[in-house]
Amino acid sequence: MIENNPRRINPRRAYEILASGVKRIVLGATTDFVAHEVALQHSTNKPLRTPKQAKTHILVVAHSDRGTLDDHAKQCLAAAAILAEANTAVVALILGELHEELSNAGADEVLVIAELDYAKFQPESELSCVKAMVDVLQPSHIFMPDNLIGDGDLGRRLITSHPEKLAATHVIELNVDHIANYQSGGSALALANLPFIVLLAPETADTNLPFSASALTLDQALAHPVKDKVQPSNYIGLGMQTIAAAKIALEEADFIVSAGNGVSNVQTLQTLAAALDAAVGASRVAVDDGKFARDKQIGATGKTVSASTYFAIGISGAVQHLQGIKDCRHVIAINRDHSAAIVKRANLSLIGDAEEIMQALIAVITEAKLATQEAA
Amino acid sequence: MSIKKIAALVSAGRHPVSGEARHCRNDSLAMSIGLTLTKKINAISTNASITNQTSLRVMHAGNPDNAALKDYLALGAKHIDVIALTAECNIIDSLANELTNTDLILTGSRAENGQDSGLVPYLLAEKLGFSLVANVLEVKLIPEGLEVLQFLPKGKRRSIIVQLPAVVIVHPLAPVELRHAYAQQVMGKVSQQQSLPFKPVTDQDNSLQWQKQSTLRKPIKLKARENKSGHARMLSATVSENKGGAVVIDGDSVEKAQVILRYLREHRLINF
Ligand SMILES: Cc1cc2nc3c(=O)[nH]c(=O)nc-3n(C[C@H](O)[C@H](O)[C@H](O)COP(=O)(O)OP(=O)(O)OC[C@H]3O[C@@H](n4cnc5c(N)ncnc54)[C@H](O)[C@@H]3O)c2cc1C
Ligand SMILES: Nc1ncnc2c1ncn2[C@@H]1O[C@H](COP(=O)(O)O)[C@@H](O)[C@H]1O
Repeated sequence: MIENNPRRINPRRAYEILASGVKRIVLGATTDFVAHEVALQHSTNKPLRTPKQAKTHILVVAHSDRGTLDDHAKQCLAAAAILAEANTAVVALILGELHEELSNAGADEVLVIAELDYAKFQPESELSCVKAMVDVLQPSHIFMPDNLIGDGDLGRRLITSHPEKLAATHVIELNVDHIANYQSGGSALALANLPFIVLLAPETADTNLPFSASALTLDQALAHPVKDKVQPSNYIGLGMQTIAAAKIALEEADFIVSAGNGVSNVQTLQTLAAALDAAVGASRVAVDDGKFARDKQIGATGKTVSASTYFAIGISGAVQHLQGIKDCRHVIAINRDHSAAIVKRANLSLIGDAEEIMQALIAVITEAKLATQEAA
Repeated sequence: MSIKKIAALVSAGRHPVSGEARHCRNDSLAMSIGLTLTKKINAISTNASITNQTSLRVMHAGNPDNAALKDYLALGAKHIDVIALTAECNIIDSLANELTNTDLILTGSRAENGQDSGLVPYLLAEKLGFSLVANVLEVKLIPEGLEVLQFLPKGKRRSIIVQLPAVVIVHPLAPVELRHAYAQQVMGKVSQQQSLPFKPVTDQDNSLQWQKQSTLRKPIKLKARENKSGHARMLSATVSENKGGAVVIDGDSVEKAQVILRYLREHRLINF
């Protein structure tokens, strides 16, 4: 027996986190439960970057998709927020409805023009709105995603309508002092100074910002002349059509139901995919078992997909598999094992038997579809 | 409204590795769509005499001896009009000058031999005052003008009626089968357009000064600089480690199915 027992301090004593981020032990407190919550709250509570009196502005223009901005658009916002100086405000002009908050994305002021949804083709209207915005705001730079949901097209129309301004497209790298893109068929890397209009390729900026922004609604006096410019289109849109999910390539699919080793009944999975109008994918084990064709394999040695919704059923979530779904926005997993790696990646995980939950889901969907049909 | 004059713009492509001159696939797609369209127009106007028939005008601005042009002949162009250009001349002005009376101009989406900005069709449409649609997969003649099918990501397509005259930019996924035939290459002709005295672009002020490097490297992602304390860095590293979404363990299958349905509805991922 040791005689003079050293005094032992419980390393997990209750503590609170100070505003500076330093842990302070609370003497006498008995539970650390509250302290833990405070700690989590602190980590999401980032300092505000928003300039009090903005002298200059960076304008970010992007279309929303079903009420949210995709990662590509958020990367443009992040790039603007990172490059903005202390007295430069980032103004987001969002075309189409917006149901999310942009403070963590870095927008200081936001103007949403719901009428200019990308589902409708109205380039003249969009162009005159952006031009009006440029007139009232006099931004130092304009950042836009170089994408196929209207921004790449609108950006090029904007560039041609400002022939006196410098511009660059397909930009793959940007910094305070330069931009870069590939030229001559991808055989050369070209560098130039940061121009007025920048159309950014995907993945140019990290969307994890160490600060947040106030994301205020843009001042009415500024917003009004922009909103006024919405006008009927000269093009006649005949509406959108969506190709049946089963017919399009996995890379292009927006909703994928994917099967792993935990799926015993392929027929149930196919029925579920049909009910959700989703494309079917699979893990390597499921493909190796002969349950699916090789071209359905998703992952490092299979396809890289960018569906908005990825439904992983009976998939453990090996790194090689997760590599193929890194661009998927909503991952839903069904797995028997709550410690599977996919659960950490998923936005929603259901723990239980795949076959049972799939059957139940098919029934619930059929019911929901009937209800909406009756209502219509 | 009937279409009489159709043109396709072809640029000189180059092999990304060897640098050898070849056709630019995007432009070949545009040209093929133009060839099919002219064939259709000629088939409809059966009573027109042979001399009255429409033919596709394939145009290139650049060097008439470029080996890439042979590829376009092999792919079905009977004749290529080349506006001989020296490096200082303005492509847009020269092309616009030749194409003023055209009803429809088909182009590729991105060239492979210069800045490859995809801006040429936009500048041309602006200069000529034509309407413009990008990312087009198919074109169809209709009484009001032209109906095009536009590519949108995630399996979506959109049909639009376009007023003529128009510039149509063809998307790389356009469902066109390219057929290479040596006989056509031999029969086809490249002719040099009488080059007009274009004023060279002198004021380089309004274009970006690019510095090209032939050594390719991976782009560097822009990241926010963080001057956080070591403690804060540690905290953010550990907090983001165990991120994950909601996990539903309890309840029967029907309840879990309902959770999924609610999630899908809440994020507008389904429409029922
Ligand atoms: C070089 C290399 C490249 C690779 N490339 C790829 C690739 O491109 N794509 C790919 O997918 N893999 C790839 N792999 C394989 C990868 O490492 C995994 O082995 C594979 O992804 C596992 O597939 P799985 O999740 O379907 O199967 P498992 O790992 O067997 O996981 C099955 C999961 O289903 C659950 N489950 C079982 N029964 C049920 C049930 N009744 N109800 C609910 N859940 C159940 C289990 O809990 C488990 O989590 C590669 C491996 C290597 C070495
Ligand atoms: N020199 C050229 N001659 C003819 N057409 C061209 C030329 N340069 C570009 N184009 C057309 O414009 C499209 C876009 O080119 P760019 O804007 O250079 O990426 C190409 O796909 C071609 O159809």
